[in-house]
Amino acid sequence: MRARYPDCEGIVVRDGVRIRYERCGQGRPAILLLPAWSLVHSRQWKMQVPYLARHFTVVCFDGRGSGGSDRPADASAYSDAEFALDALAVMDAAGIGSAVLVSVSRGALWALRLCAEHPHRVLGAVFIAPSALLMPPLAERRVQRFDEVIDDPVGWQTYNAHYWKTHYPEFVTFFAGRMFTEPHSTKQIEDVTGWGLETDGETLAAADGGLEFSNATATRRLAAPLACPVLVMHGTQDAVRSYAEGEALADCTGGALVTLAGSGHFPHARDPVRVNMLIKQFADRFRR
Amino acid sequence: MRARLPDREGVITRGGVRVAFEVFGQGEPGLLLVPASPITHARSWKGIVPALARRFAVVTTDGRGTGRSDRPHQPECYAPGEVTADLLAVLDAAGVDQAVLVAHCHAVPWALRLAADHPERAAGVVAIAPGIGVAPPHSYAVEAERRWADPVDAPADWNMRNRHFWRQDGGYREWIEFFFGQQLPEPHSTKQYEDTVGWALDTEPEAMIAEREGRAAPTGSEAEALCGRVRCPVRVLHGSDDRCQPVARGRRMAGLTGGHLVVLDGAGHLPQSRDPVKVTRLITTFADTITGASMHATTWTRGPCRPRRALYLSSPIGLGHARRDVALAGELKRLRPELEIDWLAQHPVSAVLDAEGEHIHPASQWLASESAHVASEASGHDLHCFQALRRMDEILVANFMVFQEVIEEGGYDLVIGDEAWDVDYYWHENPELKRGQNVWLTDFVGYLPMPDGGEREAFLTADYNAEMIEHIDRYPWIRDRAIFVGNDDDIVPDTFGGNLPAIRDWTTRHFSYSGYITGFTPPEPGQVAALRAELGYRDDELVCVVAVGGSGVGQALIDKVVTAYPLAKKTAPELRMIVVTGPRIDPAAFPPRAGLEMHGYVHRLYQHLCVCDLAIVQGGLTTAMELTAAKRPFLYFPLGHHFEQNFHVRHRLDRYGAGQCMNYATTDPDLIAAKITELAGKPVSYRDVETDGAARAARLIAELI
Repeated sequence: MRARYPDCEGIVVRDGVRIRYERCGQGRPAILLLPAWSLVHSRQWKMQVPYLARHFTVVCFDGRGSGGSDRPADASAYSDAEFALDALAVMDAAGIGSAVLVSVSRGALWALRLCAEHPHRVLGAVFIAPSALLMPPLAERRVQRFDEVIDDPVGWQTYNAHYWKTHYPEFVTFFAGRMFTEPHSTKQIEDVTGWGLETDGETLAAADGGLEFSNATATRRLAAPLACPVLVMHGTQDAVRSYAEGEALADCTGGALVTLAGSGHFPHARDPVRVNMLIKQFADRFRR
Repeated sequence: MRARLPDREGVITRGGVRVAFEVFGQGEPGLLLVPASPITHARSWKGIVPALARRFAVVTTDGRGTGRSDRPHQPECYAPGEVTADLLAVLDAAGVDQAVLVAHCHAVPWALRLAADHPERAAGVVAIAPGIGVAPPHSYAVEAERRWADPVDAPADWNMRNRHFWRQDGGYREWIEFFFGQQLPEPHSTKQYEDTVGWALDTEPEAMIAEREGRAAPTGSEAEALCGRVRCPVRVLHGSDDRCQPVARGRRMAGLTGGHLVVLDGAGHLPQSRDPVKVTRLITTFADTITGASMHATTWTRGPCRPRRALYLSSPIGLGHARRDVALAGELKRLRPELEIDWLAQHPVSAVLDAEGEHIHPASQWLASESAHVASEASGHDLHCFQALRRMDEILVANFMVFQEVIEEGGYDLVIGDEAWDVDYYWHENPELKRGQNVWLTDFVGYLPMPDGGEREAFLTADYNAEMIEHIDRYPWIRDRAIFVGNDDDIVPDTFGGNLPAIRDWTTRHFSYSGYITGFTPPEPGQVAALRAELGYRDDELVCVVAVGGSGVGQALIDKVVTAYPLAKKTAPELRMIVVTGPRIDPAAFPPRAGLEMHGYVHRLYQHLCVCDLAIVQGGLTTAMELTAAKRPFLYFPLGHHFEQNFHVRHRLDRYGAGQCMNYATTDPDLIAAKITELAGKPVSYRDVETDGAARAARLIAELI
């Protein structure tokens, strides 16, 4: 059973792709919880929604390729521009003029684009464990060769389009383990694994291919000092995207940085209380 | 002594009327604190300014008619437009473009007018007990208000709010004493009452009358319209038991301004004085919400990843506690090697901690000096320490706010407060702020009145004791462990006063006894000679150490003793006198005398005391007990009007059969010289002082973590 069910659910359709969203609560301001990578869907915010919805209007949606949204097969459907337009369409459908954006991991790309290109729709932006191409990958990820055929890949080598077609569940298990470096994270790992298995390797590969449409230079340009308040939080034990990425994003956006000492890549799942309080504290300034 | 002095003071002049202001600190947004002048002035914010000024640029003003401002007698000088213009001029002079306006009682309409007419200058409004006519006044005030200008004969209660009565001899004072008696319905508010009455008496009846007749406060639809014109965020604080402004006014004002109402349940009209911690936090969170300034770079460490940490507070009045606390911390680290200990400490305690290599928390720099306050309260060899503690109220709350910030950011498992009065008092007053396990240590329990204080002092000490007893009774979970540094016999046979219990019985029920903690092991008789040699004392000289502790009080005693030195030297030529002025008295301030040795801070002074032939000291517990433990003869001079030294310490020393108590006022240098010759080097027979006190106390604490 969920702790809180949405007040309303809906579908928006863009270029034939259906995007499922939920809305909860009615306080001001609105908070838009953005999707991460298509490995997980909007249930990743389950520890945030019931609390935030008591104070704010909370909207979240399943990113294309995940949950109740469609799973287009073509990588071009997963560009960050498409995700940003999905977010705007969801805001329109949910009746939200402007919102505080909360993103995690790769959602940072979409949030940055919204901040830079649609500033009047954005009150402020919270970035959790951002993955925004500002820093080189972690050392242990340099073995990744996404498009190459690798015999008997291990570790980060399993981050591989060919492997996913045949061994997708093994990859999901591996990746979920890397997301939670904190001891005693079995439930969080099971959750992420379950959500990941709701989509499939081909879809995830297509979604990953969408990244080809992003580049570091463009991201840096988007992340130039933003007009809105920015809060970045990043775990020091993040084994998916380095803590330095959070530092860099806070630095180039002019945002505040909260260091989560000991946290991994999904602190909103593993340390929901602190993350909830930080989001609330950040959003409280937009009450009027 | 004030907890914080202004960084800048100034005066603006408008239409020939001078209005004083002060500026403290820096940071966005600015805060303009607007008192309900002229019945009170800027000092009414004393409990909240020091903490706010660490975050924001705080501007206070006395307002027309009181404090350091002029006191015009023409009602038109107090028109709302004039006061609002003063506030703008103060903001200009202080260099503050935009401020959160914090206003009290009838100052609230001034702040609202400023916010409505000059929205670019007001980032927000905090209205405390708003005196705005958007709801009816208390019924009992209506009749008096109607008869304000009528001649009245011997009015009582609210009817004393009358222009003719205020002009009568003593009439204004009588009104003020009645009025503030009503406005502090919270028990144990004697100090706040004395303060507010005193500030009200800083003005004069004619200025009060002129202000009242020129106030032209909006009422009814006019007041509602004023509220409706305010566009900035508003927070209203209102005591549920406010007998000046009904809480309905605060509620209605919040509704009309779209503001947020915080009802302070059980509070009266002056929460900024009576509940300064809560008011400070409400202002801070309000200002932070406007600017988001609290989202600065910070680290949050996951709970399971944190090292075990303790924050140790050692009472900073003098050096009495530093040595024993260092010893106790050492024993605790022996029992819990993984425990990290930070010290929130100020001079002179920090001098000991530095020398011992302890880690002092950097926020210690924000602490207001308790020792300087105590020194400022002393006069000659007299220190009324109970009243000095009462008058330390703004320093205690300022330092508590520093402590609370440290504890909220630091992830401490344990707080150890050796007579950390601020923590103990304000955690009981604001129990929701407690964090971690809390250990309270003290070496005396119970305020006792000095005989010449009469009934009033007996009442006040009993009232303070009653408040403490009620604190412990209501919130037994604030002190996780209370340790009395000593034994039950050390406790005076008195009661807490009034109908309150006997101190010893109550203490035994609520404390654990650790035995005394000297913080060192005295040398065996066979080791004394070697230690004397090491310290540079010869066997054939009579070493007399004169020490006055660390608080900065003691100049008068030193003056008297050094006058006795040549007299004593005549009869005892082998006399060698070493005067230790302590870390807060400059030894160079005394005229040099041939043969006399003067020192400031002496690290590990106890070693010298352990091998001296005689010591002459104040009545402070620590030094006297060091001499008792080392079995050295000594004279001690309790400070006049110092209840702890005159009663608690003396009782304990009598139990040990230690020392000779001297009366400073009736002792002349000849008598001191005679005592030196009589006692120096003579054997003593004191009761033994235990040497395991620190270890016992450490075990009691270690059980908590």
